[in-house]
Amino acid sequence: MIGRIFSRPLISSVLAITLGLGTGCSHWIELAVSTDAAPPTNATVATDARMPLLLETILVTHNGSSIAPPAILERQVLGAFEATHLFSQHYQSGYTQPAADQARVTVRLSIDNLVEPHAGQAAWRGFVVGASMFALAPFISLNYDYGTEMSLEMERWDGQIKQYTATSNGSAHYNLFGASPDVIEQLKGQVTEACLSSLLNQVIRDSPFYLASSEQPQGNPIRTVSVGVRHSSTHTIPVSQPITDSSPR
Amino acid sequence: MLVYILLIILMAGLSSPIYAADPTPRITVGTQEVGLSAGYLLPHRLTQNHTTKQQGVALMPSWMMTLTDPIGDSWYRGQVSLGAEMVYIQFQEPFLTHGLGFTPKIKYTFVALDRIRPYAEFAGGPFWTDLAGKIPEESSRFNFVLTAGFGVSYFLTDQAALNVGYRFQHISNGGTRYPNLGLNASLPFGGFSFFF
Repeated sequence: MIGRIFSRPLISSVLAITLGLGTGCSHWIELAVSTDAAPPTNATVATDARMPLLLETILVTHNGSSIAPPAILERQVLGAFEATHLFSQHYQSGYTQPAADQARVTVRLSIDNLVEPHAGQAAWRGFVVGASMFALAPFISLNYDYGTEMSLEMERWDGQIKQYTATSNGSAHYNLFGASPDVIEQLKGQVTEACLSSLLNQVIRDSPFYLASSEQPQGNPIRTVSVGVRHSSTHTIPVSQPITDSSPR
Repeated sequence: MLVYILLIILMAGLSSPIYAADPTPRITVGTQEVGLSAGYLLPHRLTQNHTTKQQGVALMPSWMMTLTDPIGDSWYRGQVSLGAEMVYIQFQEPFLTHGLGFTPKIKYTFVALDRIRPYAEFAGGPFWTDLAGKIPEESSRFNFVLTAGFGVSYFLTDQAALNVGYRFQHISNGGTRYPNLGLNASLPFGGFSFFF
C-alpha cells in the first residue's frame, strides 16, 4: 500500500529529474553550409608527377587581432594537405626544409576567425537561470558562434600563383549544465575542418597545375594515386594500386 | 589582517619572476570551478531597533560555471560565471544556533591582471536558521539571504586559486512574518578554488 502511494510521485519525480538533467546537460552544434558547396572532388595523378609542398606561413587573426597560430592548427593544416596525397612530401617552415634548388609548391595561408560568444546574452540568461533557482536551466539555451575565412595562396616552383578562399561558420547551442570547453573546441574544430576541406577541394580541382609535367617513359608503367579531400577522420582516402607492376622503382 | 594578506599576495604576484613567462590561466566558456571558503560573520546594527550582535563561523562550498569568454578590452576585461553556493553559519553569539542556505550566485571576474583576478559577486536564496524566534529582529526560521561582495583570486597554478574577499550579508524573511527587521553582517572570508 505504502509502495503504491509513493510509487507514482516517486516515479514522476525521477522522470522529471532525469528529463531535467538530460535536457539541462544537452548541447548541439550546427554548421552552416560552406561557400564551396561543390561535391568532393577526386582525381588520379601520377605518383612521380607530384611535387613537394612547403607550408611557409600561416597568419591567424581572431576578431581582427593577429595572434600566433596554435601549433595544433599548423599540424591540422599540414595533416589536411598530407591527406589529399596531392604532394610528394610535406615541409613546414621552421622545421626540416627542402633543398634550396628543389622544385616545390609554396603555401601561404591566412585565417580570419570571427568569434561571437554572445556574452551579454549569456550573462542575462545566466542571471535568469540563477534567479529561477536553476529550474529554467533545461529550457534556456546559450549560444556561441564561430566563423572562419581562409585565404590560401599557392605558388608553383615557376612563380605562378593561384589563390583560393573559403568560409565556414557554425553555432554551438548548449544548456547551462551542458557547457564545456570541449563543446567550443568541437565547434571550432568542425568549422576549421569544414573550411579547410572546402579550400582543399578547390585545390584538388586544380591538381594538374601542381604536378610536374612528366611524360611516361617507354615501357615503364605509371604508378598513380587518388587524390581527394579528407572529410572525416574515419573516411579513408583511397589510394590506387600500381596498374601493372608492383615492383619497387 | 585581510589587507596584509592582500598586500602579500599582490607583492608576490608582482615580484615573483617564476610566473613572468607563465601563460595566463585560460578560463573559457564551460570551465567549472569548485571552491570552499570560510569566514567569520561580524554584525552590523543599522538601526536602533537592531540589538542582536550575531556572529559566528561561516562555511561556503560553491560551484560555478563560466558563461562567457573574457569580454572587454580595457581594465574591466572580464568574464561572467554562474553557480550556486551552500552557506552554513554557526552562530556563536548571542546563542549557539545554526543557519543553512542555498544561493544561486553570479560573479564577474576581472582578468586583466593575469594571475591576480579581482571579482565582484552577488548571491541570494533561501536560508533556514534556528536563531530566528530567539532574537527580536527575526521571527521565522525560513528566511532569505542576500549577499554582495568582492574578492580577489590568486592563481597558484592554471587550475588552482586562493581567494580572499569581503561580503555584506543580509538575512530576512521577505515580509512573510513579523517582526522582520533583518540581520546584517560583514563577512570577510578566505578560501580556494579548483578549475576544470
